[in-house]
Amino acid sequence: MKIFAFANQKGGVGKTTTAVTLADGLARMKVKTLLVDLDPQGHLALSFGLEKTPGLYRLICLDETLEKVVVNISSNLDLVTGDKQTEKVKRQITLSDFRESILTDILQDAPYDAVLLDMAPSLDVLHINGLIAADWVVIPTRPDALAVDGVKEILTTMAEINQSGHRYRGYSILPTFFDRTTRETFLQFQDLAKTFGEHLWPPIPQDTRVRETVAYGKTLWDYAPNSVSMNGYKDGKQRLGGYKQVLARMLEVIND
Amino acid sequence: MTEKKFERRTTLDPAVADLLSGMHQRQVESQLPRKERERLSRERAKIQSRRDQRATYDLPPTLREEIMALSEELRIPASQLVTLALARFLNDYHLEKIDLGKYKQPSRSPRYDWNLIFPDELIRIKKKKG
Repeated sequence: MKIFAFANQKGGVGKTTTAVTLADGLARMKVKTLLVDLDPQGHLALSFGLEKTPGLYRLICLDETLEKVVVNISSNLDLVTGDKQTEKVKRQITLSDFRESILTDILQDAPYDAVLLDMAPSLDVLHINGLIAADWVVIPTRPDALAVDGVKEILTTMAEINQSGHRYRGYSILPTFFDRTTRETFLQFQDLAKTFGEHLWPPIPQDTRVRETVAYGKTLWDYAPNSVSMNGYKDGKQRLGGYKQVLARMLEVIND
Repeated sequence: MTEKKFERRTTLDPAVADLLSGMHQRQVESQLPRKERERLSRERAKIQSRRDQRATYDLPPTLREEIMALSEELRIPASQLVTLALARFLNDYHLEKIDLGKYKQPSRSPRYDWNLIFPDELIRIKKKKG
């Protein structure tokens, strides 16, 4: 089992959409996948057309089993929902012993091939729990200076966690809302490539279909499977970027 | 102007390297005079419009050489000669004037059921005598 955390302390960079799209993609590739909402906004449930419910609260505060708490979305995809009660989870974790590894303990024997953690744009005890549970951290970022600063913040936190003995298998930077025609995007992308090299994954093109898909409570695989955000930019016969290419990178990590 | 090139390096994801290279080229082009930009844009459009017309097939070298020789001799593009040959083959095939059965041999490929094995005399083109 591989645990992926989708993290960036900057909000609005596409963490939830990315986690939903990749989780649904993995499930369609017959990878048994669990998606966990660590954000009190509870947007993962809405993304699948469901009501927000306190799944994480029941799991951690009421000690219910993972099996009982998960909502089945499709044949290979389960979801642990979140809502405003997730705030209570943070308070409970703060008062617990071994508070930073509670999520690791819950997930360690979970019967899944991949677990995707959708993190809140914050740096609290739940966020640290997610980062400690993760084998691989995916950092979605808009190609702008503020979001890129969020990348550096996450990497600093990861370095601190590394010093306390946790070993990540790796991390990836995922540019989102990518508009290849603007000079600013080019400059930011160039900087990311120079700084992070092979850690930089192909970007997700800006696409209005992504915003529409949330309104319909569908994932991109159902609503716009051939959109530019899914297929990437056409370059001759090849495609560059897009969620399908990023999914292939994730499968490489899972099968490694 | 010296053009800065992004070379595909092992330290970059190949898709990232290709995208960066394309974006860099566009940035360089955006600094050029308008006429030059328009010329490059026309060239790009021409290349893109021809992309759907391109095909790659494995052919016996003798056939390829014969087409090239005929193209030179008649001063007609080789692509058009091949188009004519393929169109005539398809017409004849649909009119059942061509029987593939006599060339068919079972294939061991997982993708195909049959191979066409051509007799030497079919491939070895007889050249017109001057």
